[in-house]
Amino acid sequence: MIFSIVLALTIGGIASVLAWARRGSPRPDSLRGRIRARGWGLLLLPVAMSAAVMAGGAHGLVPAELGLAVLAIVFAPKLAAKLVPFGVLSLAVFGIHLAKLHRDGSNLRVQYLFVHAGRGAWIAPVILAEAAALFVVALWLLLRTDAPGAGLLRPLAARWLDRRRGISLIDSLFLIPVVGLVMQLLGPGDWFGIQAINGLDAGLIDLTLAGAALVLIFRSRAWAATLAAAGLLVLGAYGWLIAVFWPVLGFAYGFSDLRNPAPSPLWTDAVEGSLLLALGLWLAPRVMRHHLGEPLDSPDPELAARAQQLTKRVQALTQTRRDAVDTAAAELRRIERDLHDGAQARLVALGISLQAAERLFPTNPDAALALVAEAKESSSQALTELRDLVRGIYPPVLADRGLADAIRALALDVPLPVELDIDLPAPVDLPVASAVYFSVAEALANITKHAGARSVRIQLSQSLLAGPGGLLRAQVTDDGCGGADPTHGTGLAGVERRLAAFDGILAVSSPPGGPTIVVIEVPCALSSLKTSTS
Amino acid sequence: MRIVIAEDLYLLREGLVRLLSAHGFEIAAAVASAPELLEALVEQRPDVGIVDVRLPPTHTDDGLRAALLARAQVPGLPVLVLSQYVEQLYARELLADQAGGVGYLLKDRVFNDEAFTAAIRTVAAGGTVLDPEVVAKLLNRRSRDEPVARLTPREREVLALMAEGRSNVAIAQRLFIAEKSVSKHAAGIFDKLDLAPSDDDNRRVLAVLAYLDS
Repeated sequence: MIFSIVLALTIGGIASVLAWARRGSPRPDSLRGRIRARGWGLLLLPVAMSAAVMAGGAHGLVPAELGLAVLAIVFAPKLAAKLVPFGVLSLAVFGIHLAKLHRDGSNLRVQYLFVHAGRGAWIAPVILAEAAALFVVALWLLLRTDAPGAGLLRPLAARWLDRRRGISLIDSLFLIPVVGLVMQLLGPGDWFGIQAINGLDAGLIDLTLAGAALVLIFRSRAWAATLAAAGLLVLGAYGWLIAVFWPVLGFAYGFSDLRNPAPSPLWTDAVEGSLLLALGLWLAPRVMRHHLGEPLDSPDPELAARAQQLTKRVQALTQTRRDAVDTAAAELRRIERDLHDGAQARLVALGISLQAAERLFPTNPDAALALVAEAKESSSQALTELRDLVRGIYPPVLADRGLADAIRALALDVPLPVELDIDLPAPVDLPVASAVYFSVAEALANITKHAGARSVRIQLSQSLLAGPGGLLRAQVTDDGCGGADPTHGTGLAGVERRLAAFDGILAVSSPPGGPTIVVIEVPCALSSLKTSTS
Repeated sequence: MRIVIAEDLYLLREGLVRLLSAHGFEIAAAVASAPELLEALVEQRPDVGIVDVRLPPTHTDDGLRAALLARAQVPGLPVLVLSQYVEQLYARELLADQAGGVGYLLKDRVFNDEAFTAAIRTVAAGGTVLDPEVVAKLLNRRSRDEPVARLTPREREVLALMAEGRSNVAIAQRLFIAEKSVSKHAAGIFDKLDLAPSDDDNRRVLAVLAYLDS
């Protein structure tokens, strides 16, 4: 034993020195890089020690394990660095096991970290304290390095530190390995020991723990939960089987330490089995629901609210996108028809007139001139129609001058006195400007046609504080007869759909007798902010 | 009469040059962008600048802005602005300096070469020519401004034709009334709009401006 410890220390030391000597110039900002650079391979010493000690008398195995450790440090330092936390963890587990053996009266003589575990009542608490310290170090290393499982442990630790957010069901399942260790430490059984390893329950627990560890490594939280649920169910059922069949069969390994002539282990097995079964039954349907695609019940209200918000948002976006596509298609259809029946037809007529005039010139110049005049008239009308069409697609003033002047120009064309109050500190994106322009134009057209108003007031303002891009607000007020209903007719409904594509809203207040107030609000990405960052 | 033409589309620019040369105008310069236009207007000092609203470099209202800038440097420099569309907003901006010598017409008015050349001469003489489409929109408005509201329907008609740049003779022919009565209506208009006696052309500009501002 002494020989193996000395050997372990020597080879571990050599390995550490080798690792330190091999420190190159890895990325200095990554922890792994720093571990390599500072020769933290020294931490592999406990791994080597634990391997040597746990191997017991099997001297032949120790050099092989140590050799592997050396090879790992020299040729796969990244892997070695990742293994360090697990080495420390295994040492801690061994310490707990050792402490329990001593409590149970064993005289196993091995060297633990600072004590030689032999006789003496004081030894168990000292080993336990050392093991606990190692356990904390192992957890800390797991959290700090990118060892397998660290990716899951890190957010978990962050969440536990931030109590307000609560712990979700899946997260709490990661406690199972910890619970297993505590049971090993405090429970009456001897699960990691040679006797109990033959017992079915201990085997199952080991399997469950190993499975959970594997799952942790491969980072599948859902399958870890499934495994935990299944393990709990089987263990619970097994507890009851023992309670029922122990008197019949006369042998079995229960939750209690059955090596000792226990007077009656039945009731403890039944109680423990019931508890485990209940926990498994509670867990199983939830885990199954998760696999069937339903979200797990999350106690995080913030997250749930956010999920609900996102669902609503997706629904709204789907609707407005469909509306926007429909509107664009209808708009294109209208433009096509207008061009076909208007300018295109005029140009055809113009061509025909000119063709006829060309033929008539030699014989009948007067008639030819009349045809040319007709052609001129045709081209004039084609231009007028094109002009109207262009205004409907994109008003030229809006293109030339932006929203403020476009609204001013719009106000000038209203056959009513218009009071303007425009305050736009930053230019507005063209698509938003266009939507607001046509909304105001529609409101003004309604006033001219239906309201019988004497005057109109248009307010256009921009709040830079509301939201990331600011909020554009237009208000059109008239002193007409009121009673406007946005659900009747297509005009305002169309405006509403058009604004919705920009998350904009339209509100109409129009009591009978007036006044009518139309409010348009659109969140706008401000051009100036965009360009200032580019 | 010397003319500067600013039009970015080659076919239209050449068409205008040919048309105006045929009518005996002298083309001092034919340019294709706003900076060239400003330079030509300020250096050549033409009798009239004929300007397309939309010009390079930004292809928005560069032509209009260059014309306004030129008039700021050379007060009263006659400018006839052509556009594919007319806006009261731009008409007001052109008239705002009250110096006269301003025209604002749709491009297709060029088809009627007699009316077009008459408009050029009116602008060169310091008069005001607004497109009938602008004037029609003006007539469409119900004014809340007291002085303009006081005008009789006939006076409003006369004022509208004045805005189109028509002389008293032309207005009389159009309305089938004697030239003398047109003068009487004009005097009534100037009186109601509180325009002090000064030279007739300037008062016509101010009257149109009052109309636009109403």
